[in-house]
Amino acid sequence: MNSQNIEKPRVLKETKNKIRVEFERTPLLERLKVKFISMHFLVSLIWYIFRLILLIGISYIILYPFYTKIAGSFMIPDDFVNVTVRLIPTQLTLNTYKQIFIEMEYSKAFVNTLLLSGTAAIIQTFVCCFIGYGLAKFRFKGGRILLLLVILTLIVPHQTLQLSLFMNFRYFDIFGILKFLSGGATVGVAWIDNILSKIKILPFPYGLTLTNTFWPMILLSATGLAFKNGLYIFMMRQFFRGVPDELEESAYIDGSGVVRTFLTIIIPLSIPMMITVFLFAFSWQWTDSFYTNLFFTTTQTILMPKIVGIPSTLETNFAGQNLYYAAIRNTCGLMIIAPLVVLFLFCQKFLIQGIERSGITG
Amino acid sequence: MTSEVKLKNTVSNKGASKKRRHASLDKRKARAGWLFVLPFVVGFLIIYLPVIFDSIRLSFYHIKVLPGGGYTLDPVGWGNYKEALFVDPDYVQTLLTGIRQLIFDIPAIIMFSLFMAVLLNQKMAGRAVFRAIFFVPVILATGIMASIDSQNILSEYMEEEEGINTGTGQSAAAEIVTAMDISNLFRNMRFFSGMEEYVATAINNIYDIVNRSGVQMLIFLAGLQSIDPKIYESCQIDGATSWETFWKITFPMISPMILVNAVYTIIDSFTAGSNQVMQFISRVYQRPDGNVVSAAMSWMYFLIVMLIIAAVAGLMSAYVFYQRRDT
Repeated sequence: MNSQNIEKPRVLKETKNKIRVEFERTPLLERLKVKFISMHFLVSLIWYIFRLILLIGISYIILYPFYTKIAGSFMIPDDFVNVTVRLIPTQLTLNTYKQIFIEMEYSKAFVNTLLLSGTAAIIQTFVCCFIGYGLAKFRFKGGRILLLLVILTLIVPHQTLQLSLFMNFRYFDIFGILKFLSGGATVGVAWIDNILSKIKILPFPYGLTLTNTFWPMILLSATGLAFKNGLYIFMMRQFFRGVPDELEESAYIDGSGVVRTFLTIIIPLSIPMMITVFLFAFSWQWTDSFYTNLFFTTTQTILMPKIVGIPSTLETNFAGQNLYYAAIRNTCGLMIIAPLVVLFLFCQKFLIQGIERSGITG
Repeated sequence: MTSEVKLKNTVSNKGASKKRRHASLDKRKARAGWLFVLPFVVGFLIIYLPVIFDSIRLSFYHIKVLPGGGYTLDPVGWGNYKEALFVDPDYVQTLLTGIRQLIFDIPAIIMFSLFMAVLLNQKMAGRAVFRAIFFVPVILATGIMASIDSQNILSEYMEEEEGINTGTGQSAAAEIVTAMDISNLFRNMRFFSGMEEYVATAINNIYDIVNRSGVQMLIFLAGLQSIDPKIYESCQIDGATSWETFWKITFPMISPMILVNAVYTIIDSFTAGSNQVMQFISRVYQRPDGNVVSAAMSWMYFLIVMLIIAAVAGLMSAYVFYQRRDT
């Protein structure tokens, strides 16, 4: 009986799921000694502290400019000439926000930009999903060349194309068809030109004017040519290459067609990735000033990048003018990105998940 | 006999039909592939190709917009290119500084993003928070924000005073550099003197580098996570230190990603709105009659950057390690 008691640990308490037993352990002090007074622990502690300091430092570098912007946006003009005031405003004022909101027609800009970015981003997400799937899963002649062309569209800077992009949409025409139907076509020979000018089915001798509408962005998005779409297509392709082929093969064997397989099996699978692409597309379109300045030349459609400026009621001539104006401009920037911050906070998890899953591996 | 012949026939028939069906399936799949990429093909042919050709063509012309809603073109040959190269006082200068800056930035950004990706890949408390913070610049510091930031005197002002500086990271980092006497350190280490300047400048531009290495960091993170944990396990069992593991396992495995990132960094930084050359070209575009000259300028710039990309890709692909995998 005795020997049995020594061999088996004594059961203190036993319930359905838990069991507490008593057994001899090395004393706590000894254990702590072994654990904490060792080279390994020391090295990992130093590494831990170093890493933490580094990460916090760099996070600080990233977030600090946002803090200066926020602090500056609440300051009154006097704070900018007061040497003792730096990072904390003496009295909080919402005047800057209010004036920008009213004079720059923030709400209009918000609605317009939301419409534009929303449509563009949704179209881009789906189109890039299609194209990426096509490039990843099907072998056909010219597939590799197409991929190269996609990357080419990413590489050629849009500034290079800005003039011809503008011209293309200012006088929009597909292979001169509209011109031909409206009698504006010329070939350089007088009598043919004469006949051609008689054709007047449509009233657009110079093509359609698509600038100052959403159409340029929609057309570019629908064809996967808008801002950084090459990157989205590439990300989508890499993601789909990681999806096992067996999935579709079993669907094909069960008699499902290519399109149906894509819609019912692949799309639900790739939703995190699509959210990632959508976020990129949406926020880069939201803050984009290049296309909006290019395609929206008049002041009729107010978009976010247009609201950066000095409201007339805030104009001053005092000494700290430059600084104050800089603060106002930064406040405009803050107001522009505020909706994005909200979006980012909500979707941050998807974003990082999606990017990790894309597994962009060569 | 007859039965044998029949059998043979059926066999051969079966084989033939199987082969045919196979080909047709391939064809059908190819057709489906074209269906999926159709939007891009159509867009490329209808919009992009004409736009590219137009852009090249227009760089050889002078353009005049008519009040009625049309425009006329006068061919000027290489005139725009000549104007950009020889008449414009700033173009060549800006181009040279821009390219030097580009070559300077690539190693800094890649080293930094690789380092941070390795850090963020480790298990630790608050990893998700740090990842989210590191991702902020990718979403928020682009486009209009970047152009506001590029001429921002507010954050410079905020950091003027001692003690509460840092803002864009510049003055604080510079102070640290002087305090630590980094140049002296390097002189004692007997590195070549360019190194000292490089490190000091890189630290001075830390804000810029952090801001621009977001996407690269994520690409590296994705690459790091695709490495099989088994390899690390076996390394650990064999007694390799983490330093050795990094150089012998992580680095070769991640090297394709380094190539991708190098190319991406070049593309990203030379098409960015904050790029000096790009800003210069945009300014020229706004000038009266400047639009065609700016097209010529950007095509030259594009060619040079293409050459740099080709050189970098060619050089690096010789050293890139590809894990053999069955695709």
